[in-house]
Amino acid sequence: MSPAEGGTRGIRSAHTLAAAAALAVLAALAVWALGTEYALAQAAFVTTWAIAGLGVILVVGQCGQVSLGQGALLGLGAYAQALLALRGVPAPLSLAAAVALAAAGGWLASLPGRRLGGLYFAMSTLAFALVVEEALVRWESLTRGAAGLAVPPLALGGWVADTSLAQALVGGVALALAWFACRRWVASRVGRAWRAVREDEVAAAAAGIDVARAKTLAFVVGGGLSGLAGALYAHWIGFVSPEQFGLMLSFELLMLAYIGGARHLAGALWGALVVVALPQGVSLAVERLPPGLAGAAGIETALFGAVLVILVLLRPGGLAGSR
Amino acid sequence: MSALTLIQVLASGVATGCVYGLVALSFVLIYKATGAVSFMQGELLMVGAFAVLALHEAAGLPLVAALVLGVAAMAAFGALLERTVLRRTPGPGHLTALLLTFGLGMVMRGAVGAVPAASHAMHRLPLPFAGASVQLGGATLAAEHLAVIAATALLAGALTLFFRRTRAGLALRACSEDVQVAALMGVSVAGMHTLAWALGAGLAAVAGVLLAPVTFVHPNMGLVALKAFPAAVLGGMTSLPGALAGGVFLGVVEAVAGLALPEGAKDVVPYLLMMAVLLLFPGGFAAGLRGRP
Repeated sequence: MSPAEGGTRGIRSAHTLAAAAALAVLAALAVWALGTEYALAQAAFVTTWAIAGLGVILVVGQCGQVSLGQGALLGLGAYAQALLALRGVPAPLSLAAAVALAAAGGWLASLPGRRLGGLYFAMSTLAFALVVEEALVRWESLTRGAAGLAVPPLALGGWVADTSLAQALVGGVALALAWFACRRWVASRVGRAWRAVREDEVAAAAAGIDVARAKTLAFVVGGGLSGLAGALYAHWIGFVSPEQFGLMLSFELLMLAYIGGARHLAGALWGALVVVALPQGVSLAVERLPPGLAGAAGIETALFGAVLVILVLLRPGGLAGSR
Repeated sequence: MSALTLIQVLASGVATGCVYGLVALSFVLIYKATGAVSFMQGELLMVGAFAVLALHEAAGLPLVAALVLGVAAMAAFGALLERTVLRRTPGPGHLTALLLTFGLGMVMRGAVGAVPAASHAMHRLPLPFAGASVQLGGATLAAEHLAVIAATALLAGALTLFFRRTRAGLALRACSEDVQVAALMGVSVAGMHTLAWALGAGLAAVAGVLLAPVTFVHPNMGLVALKAFPAAVLGGMTSLPGALAGGVFLGVVEAVAGLALPEGAKDVVPYLLMMAVLLLFPGGFAAGLRGRP
């Protein structure tokens, strides 16, 4: 275990308090500046991205492996949820199916790399993601291809989550549950095995840990969390199409975990805040440029990339990392 | 399907495969020498093609001069990036370099896309042999395919000479075998890192110029570099000849898959192949060729 995780209880609770206070101030500022409706809609997205971020943090931060396929796993969850909801399957069942499908996807994506590790996970998850994206485009009879699918609002029993408040609430509850589960996992035998694999695979194997199994488990659990996030995201955005879940999303999720701080669960929330706020900030900044300037889309991409480079160089431990 | 069609399809597959192979070569070269996973080879390829295009069309240089100058400028750009940004990569680990190069790639793609002249029209590099064809024993082969294959063979020969016969090549090889021993033997490791990035960027630029007659020159042409990863894996990830061979093999497989399989399968085959290779032959197809760059 690294020293940063073994901090004393007093320091940790002070950190938690400071983080909670900062979040409360941010939330108040967001409501004041953007209006309640808009702020709540954004809160739904932030909580959903944070769930996906938890999945990445388990794989990248806890187990120390690289995944370039989380975006596609989110896509699997989103499509499973959308298709089942359109066929009238009740939400608790379809959510479970979405989570299971994405977890199976995580298992499949990590299978080729599990004895090789390191870069090979990046390669095999990348291949998996590209195959999934192509399959979503080509399997038109099921997914309607590149045209995409409209998704009805989330219905739990007789209650329909079609307002921003309801969506933010559902997102918050789901995040709280996922967070609680992750804290249990990270503190358990499984979590210790993950960190041991991250720090030194040979030593972990010598201590009796099944390294390949620990890695696979991280990808399965991370995939399940991505599936949950994808299923909720499909409802919030109301429309799914294959290009939403491409390589760019996988990199955004990696960036989320890296910016927030991949070693701490709290990094998921901070990273989600940045990832939701950054594109909107960037497009606001681009709007201020003279209107005659062509290629605004290009400038947005360039600014986004520049922010990523600067954050990686200046804050290698992420926002939640104290080092 | 006649044998002649097959020959034509194979020739086009080998030509496309050469481009994949060159990009894979640049990726593996950087990975071996510096340990960094570069996700911006596609963008370097695209910027290289645009640099040659701009030097030829906007600055009015003759094509050969534009080509040499453009590739040299890209090599210098790669070295500059290494000196200013990539060298500062904090800590080890694939993730940092991956995110850093992806961010740099976004900056390049966005910057080129923001230039109206570059993003609003399709461009074609007016190479002298573009559009011509060669009759070879009844089969009609596109001259640009033959030119791509010849150029790749020439480049591979030059690289072999560089790695086998020059001190810098030897030092680069030593660096990728064992950094500490290389440093003890008086090799400047930092200098070799700069050289590796310069070579990688230059190679990507050459691949961009070779790709220009096949596709158009546009800001998203760097997507072709995604095919370089399966090529590198097929070649065993750390073998330069393996990467080139993997690329050519992939190009041929893709061309044949385009003939024999339903539409869309062509784009998936390289990745399915890569996952299968990782499962069955983790050392890569070219494990037997490995051992010497």
